[in-house]
Amino acid sequence: MTVRGLWIISHENGGNLSIRFSRRFSTVEHRAKSLAGSSYVAVPEESTFLQLLLTELGLSDSGKNYVALRDDCLYRPRSPALELHVDGPAKGILWPVLTVSQGPLILACLPLVDVPPDPRPPLASLLSVSQGLTLLAGLQTFLLGSGSKPDSEGLGSRLAMVPSVLLQVCPLGTPLDVPLPGTPATPTAPTSVGTQKQPAWKTGLHRGRAVVNIGLIETVRSMQYGNRSRQDLWDVYGTVTCKCEVEGVLPNVTVTLSLPPNGSPLQDILVHPCVTSLDSSILTASSVDNYDGSAFSGPYKFPFSPPLEPFRLCSYTSEVPVPPILGSYQLKEEENQLRVSVTLKLHESIKNSFEFCNAHLPFFNRDQMGVVDMKVSSGQLDVSKEKNLLVWVLGQKFPKSREVTMEGKINFSGPTPGPSDPLCTKLTAYVKLHFKVPDMTLSGCYVDQHSVQVYSSAKPRIVTSRELQSKEYYIWNSTGTAPVSSGQMMM
Amino acid sequence: MAANWAERISAFSRRPSGFLSGTTAEAFLAELLRELRDDRATYSVKILLLSPLCEHPTLLCCSDSVGEETALELMSVFAQCPPKSVQFRCHLLLALTSVLICTSCVKSHSRASLDFLDVLLQIAQDTSDIHTDGSQRPLRAIACECLRELEACCPGLLSQRLELLGGLWQQETSRLHQAYAELYTLVLRNAIYQLTQETGAGAEHLKALLGGNTSAAWEADQESGLASSKDSAILSSLILGPMGTVPTLHTGPDCKELRSVLSTLLDESYLLTPLCQATLLRRLTEVVAMVPGVPPAIFRTHLLRLLGTSEVSLLHATLLLKCAFTDSLFSSEDEAFILKRLVVLSQHLLLSTPEKLFYMDCILHFPENRPISCGDGDETLPVLLTPQLASALVPTVFNDSATLLARFNMLSLVYLEEGEEGQGGQGLAYLYEHLSSLLSMVENGCGRELVVTFFRAAFLFLYYFCHVERYSNDLTKQLCQLYLNHTKLAPHFINLADQTQDRLSESSWSVGLLKALQRVITEAPLTQLTSHDLSRHLKMLARVAEEGEIIQQSTLTFLSSIITPSSSSLCTGGDWRLGNEILRVCRHLLVHPSLDSLLTPLADVLQLLVCHYADMEIQDHARLYYTLLTTLSREKLAGVLAQGMEEGGRQDKKQSLSCLIGEGLTSTLTIQQTERAVFRLIEAPPEPRAGDINSNEVQKGPEEASASMEAYRDQFSDSSFASEITLQYQLVHINSHDSHFDQLFSIRLHFSLTDHHYEELGDISVPCLLRERPSAIVQLTLKPRKPYPTSLHASAIFTSPDGHTWHTTLPDIHVAFQQTFLPLPVPSNWGRGGTLSVFEGLWDEICSESGDSAMSLFCCQLKEAALNTLVEKHFLPFLISDASHKEEFKVLFFLPPRSHILLKVSSEEDAVHFNIATDNWELLSHINSYLLKITSLQEDTLS
Repeated sequence: MTVRGLWIISHENGGNLSIRFSRRFSTVEHRAKSLAGSSYVAVPEESTFLQLLLTELGLSDSGKNYVALRDDCLYRPRSPALELHVDGPAKGILWPVLTVSQGPLILACLPLVDVPPDPRPPLASLLSVSQGLTLLAGLQTFLLGSGSKPDSEGLGSRLAMVPSVLLQVCPLGTPLDVPLPGTPATPTAPTSVGTQKQPAWKTGLHRGRAVVNIGLIETVRSMQYGNRSRQDLWDVYGTVTCKCEVEGVLPNVTVTLSLPPNGSPLQDILVHPCVTSLDSSILTASSVDNYDGSAFSGPYKFPFSPPLEPFRLCSYTSEVPVPPILGSYQLKEEENQLRVSVTLKLHESIKNSFEFCNAHLPFFNRDQMGVVDMKVSSGQLDVSKEKNLLVWVLGQKFPKSREVTMEGKINFSGPTPGPSDPLCTKLTAYVKLHFKVPDMTLSGCYVDQHSVQVYSSAKPRIVTSRELQSKEYYIWNSTGTAPVSSGQMMM
Repeated sequence: MAANWAERISAFSRRPSGFLSGTTAEAFLAELLRELRDDRATYSVKILLLSPLCEHPTLLCCSDSVGEETALELMSVFAQCPPKSVQFRCHLLLALTSVLICTSCVKSHSRASLDFLDVLLQIAQDTSDIHTDGSQRPLRAIACECLRELEACCPGLLSQRLELLGGLWQQETSRLHQAYAELYTLVLRNAIYQLTQETGAGAEHLKALLGGNTSAAWEADQESGLASSKDSAILSSLILGPMGTVPTLHTGPDCKELRSVLSTLLDESYLLTPLCQATLLRRLTEVVAMVPGVPPAIFRTHLLRLLGTSEVSLLHATLLLKCAFTDSLFSSEDEAFILKRLVVLSQHLLLSTPEKLFYMDCILHFPENRPISCGDGDETLPVLLTPQLASALVPTVFNDSATLLARFNMLSLVYLEEGEEGQGGQGLAYLYEHLSSLLSMVENGCGRELVVTFFRAAFLFLYYFCHVERYSNDLTKQLCQLYLNHTKLAPHFINLADQTQDRLSESSWSVGLLKALQRVITEAPLTQLTSHDLSRHLKMLARVAEEGEIIQQSTLTFLSSIITPSSSSLCTGGDWRLGNEILRVCRHLLVHPSLDSLLTPLADVLQLLVCHYADMEIQDHARLYYTLLTTLSREKLAGVLAQGMEEGGRQDKKQSLSCLIGEGLTSTLTIQQTERAVFRLIEAPPEPRAGDINSNEVQKGPEEASASMEAYRDQFSDSSFASEITLQYQLVHINSHDSHFDQLFSIRLHFSLTDHHYEELGDISVPCLLRERPSAIVQLTLKPRKPYPTSLHASAIFTSPDGHTWHTTLPDIHVAFQQTFLPLPVPSNWGRGGTLSVFEGLWDEICSESGDSAMSLFCCQLKEAALNTLVEKHFLPFLISDASHKEEFKVLFFLPPRSHILLKVSSEEDAVHFNIATDNWELLSHINSYLLKITSLQEDTLS
């Protein structure tokens, strides 16, 4: 339930990875020593630790083709818990070193093993492992911000704040909380002196007009093969994000998700820890189960007491009968050119009103495109020869027929080779769709504004929204071999 | 100064050992403490100064007493610090906690630690700021955290304060209640643990503990409990699963107080952060596990909320709850639900990769209600994990490496259990197809990470399904093709072969792969072979040649074709590296079990290298191998080469010759030094001297004295004439009982001079020295420049029966003056007359000459008989006059190269007179001491 040390590693300006921050928790180390007895392995000094960690992560000696320590086929990186093989007088295996990495940042910590060390206990027996992961993830979010693109300047200033952040969330190696994203919380104004205890996760109290903002976003993924032997796949998952500005120490809010009469039940529901109680029927449906027609299909009530900051109230998956856009993609290799044919069909149940809808056709492992002779029935075509990419901009609407086509030939006669990809060789190619449809969900799930209950003195303003977006929406060329993406197709 | 401190502190924490090598821990600690007391330093710097004490207290405080002193210092800094410097005061508390715990002051209840405990408890109770600004709240939070850490490191420390802490927790309404709750649960847990260790403790004690009204008698018990709980068991988690035994406290069903405390804690757990909730849940799980009087059902109302959570630590705490209480809290439906939940979470889009991997690990260590295996830490599949359920976790090419391998491993386990029929077969087909698609990505030239992932996946596949030949054979085929197109993967192939051989000892897949690789390498056309390819092929073939089962003819054909000058430019290029790689293959072939059948082609290859390879070193090495191959018996060859190979093992990257003479052969080929002398040279007993002058009496020398002198002198025109003395020695063991050296062979003795009076000596060889046999005679031939006594250093190199070569030093050899004496060197046919005339001639010359010549007289008391004995014993070989002529003995010592000492010995009235004449006055002192010695010896023996 504690960590022995914490390390933050990132690229220096030059590009070398270096330890930007480290903290050892000496009292935890003291416990580690008496718990492990003779099998105790001390934490090595920074540079050694870094070297060992990079080897385990496969990041050392990037110039070398094969390094025995790094590339041994026997070794399975049992991420998230790595073993560091410490050499020298304090020889031994340091385990379990947890790491998370994103962008330029690698974070690592070493949880305390508080069960007998021999034989090696499973990770699942160490609560400190999941707590360490939570701490690392929290620090990562804090350091990188919510934006996907981290800026090195912001990172530097946030790194400087890490010591004071740790004083609050992990002063002696026992993680108490995760840092709040953004600026560290300033001591809040004194709270009411009622008998109600203030939640530890609530940094202060809201004063002012009550506003409850609920956003429902569904994301659809798809793999379409256009091939009888291979079943097309698609799945949908939704998240409900809330920002609740409500007065009171522990105000009660209930949000209800509803489905249309024939909607298929929401599955795999995960809820935020601020949800106070759950009905068992809400949790029963699971995507890995056989679909049971009698399953509970709502309404899904989520009573909770909101934290101050925006949070993800819950997430779910759903099985929808059809993909929103059905596509077919065919390539034919002709002499010195490729004949391309794409058809996209918008399902009739989908609102024909996009925020945007684009289809990307990349061509890998070929020379750059020369002559592009393509015709599209709708929208417009952008050609990026440098990236060997066609971008078909479909705009906000499909035509009345709800079907669009693209036909033509491409000649790869450019002077330089285009980008390469190990997967997309020969006729293995895809069209990737990017689209967003406001004010609709594929599952039909919605939050009725009137169903949101807030037990507080002032009547709050309630705003709800929903949208559908695509992610990893692939249509594979049906004349080539396409990679398998899920095991569901084989059963 | 501040910037300097920042630099120094960061240098310290980066590398404490290096930093302290430039100063001492005492000095650095003193500096830190001085600066901390300095009013001019800012608090931000002071906070920085505390970090070494927080992170490495034991490095700075080398002993408990230093720790105690440091703590007292810090406490005084704390006392003087104004309350508004909250941050600094917080850090001070942390530093104090670190120092006191790590130096064992807390364990030994030192004064400072007791004082500190009081300070902390005071801060924790001080809620005076609650109505003002709450500015001291962070300090209170830290004080609670310090108390919790103290209790965690010294369990039972706060047992007596349980009621106080409970009160603080219940009263607090600010966010701080979390800190009190955490502290309270830990102290409660430790106190109950201690009760379980008390014999006879029960409900009453528990009640007393919670109420705080502990009786005196029980307090005494408590103390003993503290003392006995030194072991780390109390620190360990008490959630052990079905096979562990948790210490229990027998209270009967009546423990209302505890139950109510637990219920309140659980009900309020919702108010804690998820991380603290998880900790609290685990602590409470332990408490309930220790007190059977409280039913696990107490958790039930919270389960649904916990099972639906998106927080990994909360779900984890729930799994631990399941691990502790199994079917007393979770029904079989619950179990199925949790497992499904884990599968869902293992592939949930919204979770991070480490979390998903953690959930997969949880599946493989699923706390089943009724486990079949004993759960010894190995990965086992839960019974409920059907292939249908697991299919959600099949690996795909879109997974990252770690996920891909974790899934590959899990699915392999699933399909292995299912067998090859039905779903298992289908699944296996899928896995193989997946492996093939990875292979084709490698074939298409993907990045390094994917290459490594492919080989790891291949290993996993083989590990589980090596026996399924249709796949393992096909994999071999595909791998060979891959190798030919991507020879740079050779190290990966070798690694795969090595590991499959090690881990799958009963399978021959590895040998099959190597055989197939040998075939594709040797059968591929040579025309397009680049030197890179060739180098990798040779590495591969060297590995292939390690396999005794694989026939090596084709390898040799390949070698021969690449070095035949007519077909390849390799030889003329003379690339040293490639040459060594060829030799490496040859070296493995030299120890191959089928060497007999390889003899001729291998010799041919080596011969080709010797004759045509354009690199001298390669030629030499090849020659060595050729010689070894053609002269050594197979056993010896294997013996010589095996040592190097065994120790180098497969991983050895050494080039051929260095490997041959390196490693195991080092001891054979290097000369070792004996610890003490093994043998020595002692003077051999004198042989009867040949050329007894008396027997030659009939013969005559030149008639006239002058002619005799001339003839005698003429002999010296040859400079080597009579220039040497030969001494006889015996080589004998020094009497030590080192049986290791009983039999010594090939002894080579080496002598060195200690002065310039002799010419350098040559080495002497002695074939053997055996302890049980007569000692060897060694003839030492000395060629004096000046015939003085001398000492010789002697050393020897020899071989012991185990083949090791030794160097040893012998005791010095002392050459006495008399050992340089030779009889007068005259032609052997000269009779006494001749020698006598030479004697007289010399005597006269010496008497008349000055220069180097000298006369002297030595007198001593000797009876006649004694004199006779002396002459007989010492002078006989040198006696010129007739031995029967006892009035005067004429004795002549010839000392090479040209010196003579002539004695006329006669008994006078008072003493025996030794009249001495010599042509080298420098010898006088030596002859004097010689005479002194022999005459005194004679006196001793007679008296």
